[in-house]
Amino acid sequence: MFKHLFKLIWNKKKQNALLITEMLVSFMVMFAVFSMAVNVYRNYKIPMGFEYENVWVINLANSPKFKTADSSVTYYRNVRNTLMSMPQVMEVSYSSSNTPFTGSFMSTGYKYKGKQFNNISYYQVDNYYKKAFNLQLLEGRWFNKEDDAAAYRPVVINQSFKQEIFGNDAAVGKNLDDYDGKTDQKRNKIVGVVADLKDHGDFKPTDRGIYSRADSGFYKWMSRIIVKVAPSADAAFEGRLYKTTAGMMKQAVIDIEHFTKKRDAMNKENLTPIIITTILAAFLIINVALGLFGVLWYNINKRRGEIGLRRAVGASGNSVSWQIVAESMVLATLSLILGVFFAVQFPLLNLFDLSTGVYVNAIVLSVIFIYLLVFICSLYPGKQAAAIYPAVALHEE
Amino acid sequence: MLKNYFKIAIAVLKRRKFFTFISLFGISFTLTILMVLTAFMDDVINPTYPDLKRDRSLYIGHVELRNSKEGWMNRSSPSFYFLNHYAGSLKTPVNMTIFSTNTAASAYVNNKKVVLDMKYTDAAFWEVADFDFTEGKPYDKSQIDGSQPLTVITEKTKADYFGGEQNVVGKYIEADNIRYRVIGVVKNPSVTSNTYYASLYLPYTLSKFNYKNTDIMGGSNAVLLAKTPVDREKIRKEYAQLVTKIPTGSKEMDQLFSHADTYFGDKVRGLMGSGTETGQRRFLLMMSLAIGLFLLLPTINLVNINITRIMERSSEIGVRKAFGASSKTLVYQFIVENLILTLIGGLLGVLFSALALNFINQSDILEGLHLSLNFTILFYGFIACLVFGILSGVYPAWRMSKLAIVTALKAQ
Repeated sequence: MFKHLFKLIWNKKKQNALLITEMLVSFMVMFAVFSMAVNVYRNYKIPMGFEYENVWVINLANSPKFKTADSSVTYYRNVRNTLMSMPQVMEVSYSSSNTPFTGSFMSTGYKYKGKQFNNISYYQVDNYYKKAFNLQLLEGRWFNKEDDAAAYRPVVINQSFKQEIFGNDAAVGKNLDDYDGKTDQKRNKIVGVVADLKDHGDFKPTDRGIYSRADSGFYKWMSRIIVKVAPSADAAFEGRLYKTTAGMMKQAVIDIEHFTKKRDAMNKENLTPIIITTILAAFLIINVALGLFGVLWYNINKRRGEIGLRRAVGASGNSVSWQIVAESMVLATLSLILGVFFAVQFPLLNLFDLSTGVYVNAIVLSVIFIYLLVFICSLYPGKQAAAIYPAVALHEE
Repeated sequence: MLKNYFKIAIAVLKRRKFFTFISLFGISFTLTILMVLTAFMDDVINPTYPDLKRDRSLYIGHVELRNSKEGWMNRSSPSFYFLNHYAGSLKTPVNMTIFSTNTAASAYVNNKKVVLDMKYTDAAFWEVADFDFTEGKPYDKSQIDGSQPLTVITEKTKADYFGGEQNVVGKYIEADNIRYRVIGVVKNPSVTSNTYYASLYLPYTLSKFNYKNTDIMGGSNAVLLAKTPVDREKIRKEYAQLVTKIPTGSKEMDQLFSHADTYFGDKVRGLMGSGTETGQRRFLLMMSLAIGLFLLLPTINLVNINITRIMERSSEIGVRKAFGASSKTLVYQFIVENLILTLIGGLLGVLFSALALNFINQSDILEGLHLSLNFTILFYGFIACLVFGILSGVYPAWRMSKLAIVTALKAQ
């Protein structure tokens, strides 16, 4: 049966070659769209790992400069006390400028037992950061006063980074070397492990990350104050918070942002190109569907004689329409074999930074999609073929 | 002859309405996308308010320090001092302005928050950029030197901050905890014209950042104005000459790059360039690749449909061939017919693009963005139509001309 179908297709190879090309290109388009969609969906399913509702950030530019590191530490301790004394402020924390949803990255490398780990997101934060964002502690503890006089440099790492270095072993108490492997400085001692923060928006993956405790040098270049406020805090309160901060730092340019809004803006930025691509792909596919439908329909009309003959020698209407559908499906299979061959190169050559699972899912989805598309497009022409009366069709000839 | 082809083409189009619909749908949709894209590029590249002297302007937006041994690189916008001291010493430009990149500041009015993009400028800013003042006037050099707290605001800021008030010149606006007196109101610039875009313009002497700082990098941009568009090349060379002599001011970095570019050149360099590499070739390559890939599917689809349509007319072709029409005539005829089809699709495409642009303008996706069709865009659309029509017509026409007379006549 299939041998017969192949023979029919081979006899019209020139025309079918074009159809196959069209299906192949459609497959590649769908493969791209599905890879993107699957990736976005997977990222969307990752838990956030922190709470950002009612958390604001005060961005400081041109913040006050001090001669000594100690005076800046004292200054910011006072700023924190003043802000904490405001009625609706729940928590105040200082952070490096790569706060969540900013699109700002800082990265560094570490060594552990001679093995190099590069591109680790690096956050410099203080003792109160965990409380401000309600981070989930999985192991050990967060920074606290006992680190003040410690002979080591306390760090907290996130789950992904821990998994990569230690697997399922405990991480707390282990030491990390700096990227250049120098051990004469203070050692980085892991005091805790937190869950990953999905801090680049809902649709971006989490990174491996490390939190380093803010040292006195950090306060010389302080630029972000994280403020957790009560749910009742409104714009009037924001105005007061602004006045209070500006009153303390005359020279600074101050801007207050809400993390909920920053998240929305970031999501919009991440989603816009995806939405545009999807709309474009949808139109392209409608275009292709109409084209396929038209060509198949025309082919039926051209083969009226052949179909009429088949009906005359006893083929049922169903078997004729099945033949039309099956022929198109064989064509689709041929183009899909080619398409999958190309698509498989993406995970094999690791062309983009996506996991193999995403590609596999995308290939499966787009194969199903193309089969469905071709099936639907050939259904009506098939039905039409079944409706051909042998007497009428053969009479024409 | 052409008139005849035209008649035949219309007759064929009418015969198979479904195929005509598919072809027109594909063509018009593809062209709509291309034209909206062109309109957007046109808005970005061509002079738009307030950047009307773009064809005489050169933009300095980046300075790059490099360590040629280790490959370290540091790129940012130059400092006020750097621009004033070096670019300010150029002889050829007839005018020049230096202004800061935008800083966001919050202002609170009636328990409502207004985020303002502040730009610190010099006095020449108002000469180089062509702002339309609806009220008041710009601040001048003596007011800047006197560090007077004055500001020019946009109409949007006026609406956001003052609500429905009629005249706001002389009123005060409090931003960043400082009270500025409004001296002028300008029409809203588009966000896409991001050189001059801001919502609050202030004299640079009021900047909280130290504009006397002699670092190389530091959040400023400059626009150099040439006498004629051709003069720009001279300025570009003069600046390039000058830059080679500027010390990097740091031990780690041994190379300094900065360029006076055209508007488009500056944007592309910001995206893809580095060092002496302009990034334009890469940008054009990527753009044409993307457009090519996008056109691929509709073209194959159209080829497919065209072949089907042609084969349907095999008897006509057979008869014409039998009476001595050469393959060349037939190919020519079919390509002309196909061009007529694409042009009709193109007309529909223009209609759809007008609707799409109207929708984009109405929805206010980007603040102040106003896209419109003009002759340049229509011209590009027409070129796209021709290319599309020829590409999708050649292969089917060639297939048709190869048909043997006997098979063509027998087919029916």
